[in-house]
Amino acid sequence: MDFGFTKEQQMFKKEIIRFARKEIVPRVQEFDLQKKFDFESFRKLGEFGILGLHFPEEYGGGGADVITTVMAGEALGEAGVDGGLTLAYGAHSFLCADTIFKHGTEAQRKKYIPKLCSGEWIGCMGLTEPDAGSDVASMKSTAEKKGDKYVLNGSKIFITNAPIADVSVVYAKTDPDGKHQGISAFIVEKDTPGYTCGEPLIKMGVRTSQTSEQFFSNCEIPAENLLGKEGDGFNMSLQTVEWDRSALLAPFVGVSTYMLKRCADYAKKRVQFGRSIGEFQATKRKLANIRIFGEAARSLVYRIAWYKDQGKPLNHLEAAVAKLFVGDWSMGPANDAMILHGGYGYCHEYDMERIFRDSRLAPIGGGTSDIQKMIISKLM
Amino acid sequence: MNYEYSQKEFELLIELFQMVTDFAADHPMDSGTADCRQNIQEALEKLGQTPYLKLGVEHVEEYNGVVTLMGAMEVVALVSPSLFLSAEYGVRVLGRALAKWGSQQQKDEFLRPLVSGTAMGAMALCEKTVNVDNEPLATTGEKQGDKIIINGRKQFVVNGPVAKIIGIAGTYDGKPAIFIVDKDTPGLVNHETEGALGYKGTAVSEITLTDCAVDETRVIGCSEKENMVSSLRLWENQVLTGASLGLMRASFENARDHAKSHRTGGKPIIAYQEVGFKLAEMLTLFQTSQMLAIRAAWTSETSPKEAVDLTLCAKVFCTESAAQVSGEAMRILGSSAYFGSNPVERAYCCARYGEIFGTSTELSRVKLGDAALGIKP
Ligand SMILES: Cc1cc2nc3c(=O)[nH]c(=O)nc-3n(C[C@H](O)[C@H](O)[C@H](O)COP(=O)(O)OP(=O)(O)OC[C@H]3O[C@@H](n4cnc5c(N)ncnc54)[C@H](O)[C@@H]3O)c2cc1C
Repeated sequence: MDFGFTKEQQMFKKEIIRFARKEIVPRVQEFDLQKKFDFESFRKLGEFGILGLHFPEEYGGGGADVITTVMAGEALGEAGVDGGLTLAYGAHSFLCADTIFKHGTEAQRKKYIPKLCSGEWIGCMGLTEPDAGSDVASMKSTAEKKGDKYVLNGSKIFITNAPIADVSVVYAKTDPDGKHQGISAFIVEKDTPGYTCGEPLIKMGVRTSQTSEQFFSNCEIPAENLLGKEGDGFNMSLQTVEWDRSALLAPFVGVSTYMLKRCADYAKKRVQFGRSIGEFQATKRKLANIRIFGEAARSLVYRIAWYKDQGKPLNHLEAAVAKLFVGDWSMGPANDAMILHGGYGYCHEYDMERIFRDSRLAPIGGGTSDIQKMIISKLM
Repeated sequence: MNYEYSQKEFELLIELFQMVTDFAADHPMDSGTADCRQNIQEALEKLGQTPYLKLGVEHVEEYNGVVTLMGAMEVVALVSPSLFLSAEYGVRVLGRALAKWGSQQQKDEFLRPLVSGTAMGAMALCEKTVNVDNEPLATTGEKQGDKIIINGRKQFVVNGPVAKIIGIAGTYDGKPAIFIVDKDTPGLVNHETEGALGYKGTAVSEITLTDCAVDETRVIGCSEKENMVSSLRLWENQVLTGASLGLMRASFENARDHAKSHRTGGKPIIAYQEVGFKLAEMLTLFQTSQMLAIRAAWTSETSPKEAVDLTLCAKVFCTESAAQVSGEAMRILGSSAYFGSNPVERAYCCARYGEIFGTSTELSRVKLGDAALGIKP
């Protein structure tokens, strides 16, 4: 066993942290308050090479391995980048771009991947529907083949980046009577007639990411926009789970390091009863809890990444364990961090309340904690 | 990075599991009956023929020190917690002290028999309280003529009543030291400590030393820069972390098997979310503990400075998880765990030890808080 990072990885991580602290983090709180997407920061993520990190260089990517890619997510969190921007990055690079890259034709790869890597285009992935969340197979959206076109009808909800996306990967049923095997995946571009998005939803956290419904009303797309074969959609959505349980969880690990640092700084300078609150054991306990959570989660998230780098098929039990742990066990430390800051922790001036809000997506998005427990108890 | 044990390591884990399971089948070690002690001694001899007792103590080709050890500890603690505790306190902790600070003569005389499983050892650290972190050791050795005279009182000495070679932590000439004392040294009195909640096969005692005279060759010292007590504690914390893994695994696997076979309302109880989801949480805690424990062990081999805090993180997380997982396993087994002894009830009782001993859960959190604040111990 070996849990070490290479020298290059460690240096790269430091560079990302330096970059993010300088270019992105100073803007985070304001954008969160405005509930606005920070296009400039997103573009900078592209310029720095983060959006396309794991794609081959010939498609404008960085050619990095999975560990390095996951480490980039951790670094963004550690620098203090908000959960909205890291979610937008995750949905864009992994849920959308990676699906196109894996299952698209060479022409589709050439058309989309370089622009998605650079951040010139923004991507999203529409799977969830108003009446089909955890139970994906019950989705109602349909795609009917008519000549050299598919006609899409239906709606999606809670889709990250939908209102700002140039390109979407959309799942719909080509066989409305089939369950999982009836689902197919399509590429839909933003100005396609019959495709519209709702107003951004008002959310508790991850507010800088823009989330909305997608509506398809006799939306015609060229038949070649089908990804892979008809009926392959469900398996494609499962493959994004590998990223969902590694790269998308990584920022939560990084954020715990960020919280710990911020909390320690605050505890040292905040004086009550004539001493810094850091001198109270109750404060130390909170710091310890944050540290322990971060260390525990880190081992799980990199485990998924390492196996993916080895080319091994995803171990769904281990993936669900990682997701469940981050989802359910992140609540305590985020709460501790907020309370450690007292009234300031509850106010927007300090970012602890934002981190608390952002972290609450962890047990819901990408498969709820209950669904993870269902998977684990079935596979054990 | 590499998240897998090597083939060789893996084979060792299987071998240990088989060996201890086979032996335990007709040699009770955890029941608390009188024959447990003898059986543990015999099992120790068997372990002495494998690399187990040497791991972390001395370099063993093709194994990865404490990293391999963490997996091996899980396996031994899974099958017999009492054997595990006796081996770890009796051989590992004292053995590591001898390996690190002992003279060649001390290694030949004491370490050889310990790691070959032929002599039972003990390492006496606790005094008035379990906490030795902010209570300086009161046990002292003083030079008189060509002898060292030891006085003090040690509590909760695992293996105390059965150990031949006893390491007594104290101070000599104002500096931390370990005195190696034979069990029959005049002035050494063992009072058995009874009524333990868990680890029922392991003998524990309070040892008083009144003007115990030993040769100067029996003193193990360390350099000024080192903190002997911290090292002993760290090793003990690793032991308790390893125990937690075994106890959790015993709890989880028994609860899972029970949930799959026990039926109510026409279906196995695992089919009820209240049970199935509880098991999922238990497995999550177990796997998370395993990963954290092994990474902390790896860090102790590669960058000991970083390992200080990480070992505490692992110790707190794993021991608390073991307490929780064994408690939940009790609920899943229901009446069959509550009445009568079985591995889950045993794990439930043993798991409490881990939170209290070593650096206690509470003290560990204080130390981790201090580390975050940049306060040096
Ligand atoms: C901010 C945000 C961003 C998102 N981004 C995207 C995106 O980019 N693309 C996308 O496709 N989706 C996205 N989602 C949707 C997300 O994946 C779903 O919300 C999630 O899968 C849960 O589905 P649901 O909301 O319909 O809840 P439901 O499935 O209706 O669940 C409701 C409750 O019932 C529980 N439950 C459901 N089934 C079971 C069961 N069998 N056993 C026990 N309990 C059960 C759930 O755990 C939950 O507590 C996003 C959601 C949010 C909040």
